[in-house]
Amino acid sequence: MTKPAELYACLYAKEFPAQTLLRLRLELRNRPCVVMEGELPLQQVCSLNTKGRLLGIAHGMTSVEVDTFPSVAVLTRSKKEEASTKTALLECARAFSPHVEDLSEDRAFLSAIDIAGTEKLLGPAETLARNLLHRVKALGIAACATVSSNRNAAISLAKGLPPRTAVQIIPRGDEATTLAPLPLRVLGLTEEHEETFSLWGIRTLGMLAALPEGELIARMGQEGKRLRQSARGDLPHLFQPMEPAFILEERIELDSPVEELPSLLFVVNIMLDQLILRARARVLALASVTVTLTLEDKETHTCTVRSALPTNDKQLWVKLLHLDLNAHPYQAAILSLTLSAEPGSTSKVQLGLFSPQLPEPMQLDVTLARIRAIVGDECVGSPVLNDTHQRKGFRMEPFTVSANSTPVISSNRFPSASRQLRSAENVSVTLQSQRPKAFVFRDKRYLVERIYGPWLTGGEWWNPTFWSLEQWDLVARAQDSTLLSCCLVRDLMQDRWQMAALYD
Amino acid sequence: MTSSATIRVQLEATLANRIPSALTPAKKVLRPVAPTGVAAVDEVLKGGLPVGAITEMIGRECSGRTSLALSFLANLTQSAKVCAWIDVADVFNPESAAAAGVDLSRLLWVRCGVLADKLQRATKEQFTLPDKYLVSPPTKKGLHGGGYSPHPRGEVKGLSGAVSTFLREEMIAPRCAEPQPRVRREPEVFEPNQRPVPKKWGGHTTPRKPWSRIEQALQSTDLILQGGGFSAIVLDMGSIAPEHASRVQLATWFRYRASAEKTQVSFVLLTQHSCAKSSAELVLRLYPGDPLNDDATVFTGFEHRVEVARRRFTQTPSNAVPLRKPPQNANVASWSTRSTWAGVR
Repeated sequence: MTKPAELYACLYAKEFPAQTLLRLRLELRNRPCVVMEGELPLQQVCSLNTKGRLLGIAHGMTSVEVDTFPSVAVLTRSKKEEASTKTALLECARAFSPHVEDLSEDRAFLSAIDIAGTEKLLGPAETLARNLLHRVKALGIAACATVSSNRNAAISLAKGLPPRTAVQIIPRGDEATTLAPLPLRVLGLTEEHEETFSLWGIRTLGMLAALPEGELIARMGQEGKRLRQSARGDLPHLFQPMEPAFILEERIELDSPVEELPSLLFVVNIMLDQLILRARARVLALASVTVTLTLEDKETHTCTVRSALPTNDKQLWVKLLHLDLNAHPYQAAILSLTLSAEPGSTSKVQLGLFSPQLPEPMQLDVTLARIRAIVGDECVGSPVLNDTHQRKGFRMEPFTVSANSTPVISSNRFPSASRQLRSAENVSVTLQSQRPKAFVFRDKRYLVERIYGPWLTGGEWWNPTFWSLEQWDLVARAQDSTLLSCCLVRDLMQDRWQMAALYD
Repeated sequence: MTSSATIRVQLEATLANRIPSALTPAKKVLRPVAPTGVAAVDEVLKGGLPVGAITEMIGRECSGRTSLALSFLANLTQSAKVCAWIDVADVFNPESAAAAGVDLSRLLWVRCGVLADKLQRATKEQFTLPDKYLVSPPTKKGLHGGGYSPHPRGEVKGLSGAVSTFLREEMIAPRCAEPQPRVRREPEVFEPNQRPVPKKWGGHTTPRKPWSRIEQALQSTDLILQGGGFSAIVLDMGSIAPEHASRVQLATWFRYRASAEKTQVSFVLLTQHSCAKSSAELVLRLYPGDPLNDDATVFTGFEHRVEVARRRFTQTPSNAVPLRKPPQNANVASWSTRSTWAGVR
């Protein structure tokens, strides 16, 4: 098997800080925006959008200068948001080739993708580049793509592409010709070299490439040789592919502290869109979503919601987050918001024609979350019995619908059910020879007809004669012939009678 | 001249948007039934409780409502269906349910009013010692072994002011011969005793109003009914006094009936007195049973009695009055429940 000829695509997004911030702030996209960097009051413009540039704003302007322009949205640079956007872009690039190299600069995103041998699978280079840009655009980033057999040539061309061109392919062997009209700045020259070349009158890559190699090395050393090779598009390179971890995370730092839940959910909505897009690109779905809020009082508030099945239904996630945040309100205004998700495989449940009707898992999640908001977190679920003799012998577990059932063996055909009075009610009891004769329960007097007991429970286990609880089963009748069958408990320590359960 | 039939058709057509088939009696619906698991009751009910309708089980405490409802749920959950138990008074006993054969993993249990109780208890039990009983924080060591000031001069700061507070006017007044202006004394205020007066019986007799619990239960039931997919929903208002239970509006039961019909849920309502009225398809009245007398030392169980108090569509659609008294259906059944510790006889 012959090794396919080298071919590299280069993805380049300039004004990355501005693009990152505007990605999740849809309302600012149609306004001139600038991104400021640095400590107050020495902040300078580090990035801006096209509308800002058309207004006359330039890099390096101070905040005082920016204030002279009308209706400019001023944002602060956020490295964390840039990192999460970069992860998303690299992930997008990895959809086209497993070999991706991150070459990002301070204010621009740059990555090289090894696309050798992908022609049969993903189409010719131009189609691939356009598909790549299409996906990147869905993430909310405007970028350009170039393809060349030399990685450095592709990078140089991407940096020097004219404004309206999004894709350009350099035919094999035409590197020098294609790069010739590009300005020298695409090579990232040092100030010293820049000055030297301007003194020599060298302005484009073509002019640099035409310089004699020997004389250039004599004057500038090996660096000169490297620059000349870069200008000719034949600089050898070492491709260092990276292995990015698949992390579904989006972060936004809010421009002003937010307190209201609806405005927070508006942002969450946009971020969920992005997460779902990224998960879907890998044929995955979101299994759980975690919101981490950084609050004004330096605290963080985290809430995690899960659905019964991994799903990409945005409305469901928004509803679940809404209910969870309503049930567990945050204590201060929110400064920043991180949304992370765990991916899960998209699963389809095959239902049988004769299987019984079951609640739809997604619908059930929302219903349970709504009920939890009404009655409290611990009061909804299915009970699980603990292996204990204590009175509260159960715990609550989240209710899920499982297709397979566990066989239940009932020892008794029709057992008497009991209704347990959890907040045991005090009863006033009349005794006759140490046995209850009559009692008053809920303002009604009952005469005991039958009595069973006492059964002694509780007490000091090291003391064989000491017991703290007596349990009596009584059948009693009131004056209006109301029958009551109950379990009375006598606390011997405090000499108190309580109604524990009613047999029903 | 228009006939009565024409007028009737015209009226119905006019009202069709608001009241469909206003003057026509409802059509008889043959509903599928789900067995309760108690053979005697199933025989009287001709198969079991109706699916997609409200069944009301009325009876006092200890009349066997819970046992019958649990037996019904056990039958359903064992056939891989899911059920819900809305527990208004938080009295459901999972151990009883498990003993009855209910698959607890297929049972959604909604406990109402627990959170409010917990909060109430938490606020009651809050107790803090006054500061004077607590160990005072360690004094900050100054430059000269104690005191707060780095310089000895600072230790007497504010001393004159402190001394003058001890020398109040009433303390000085008797010693002085010259007439003093009368100082108006502040009337002493006695704070009322904040501790609650203990009750006569040393405990509460459920004074809390259960309306918040009922409201929670009704909201939860609404949500579960709307969601669908459950085979049975038991709304347990059996421990709620009739004066509170009857405050639930009839429109609520009417809505539940429509939802139950739509989602094909067997809706079982446990109450002490009839609440759902005409919205209930089947009304079972349970009577306090006689205790079984099998054993002298342990409580062994009950003999329960149930009567079908109301059932929809039982009348034959005929206007002719028969000469003979028509044969009556048996509408009373009895069955016995045994306590779990009684053993099989």
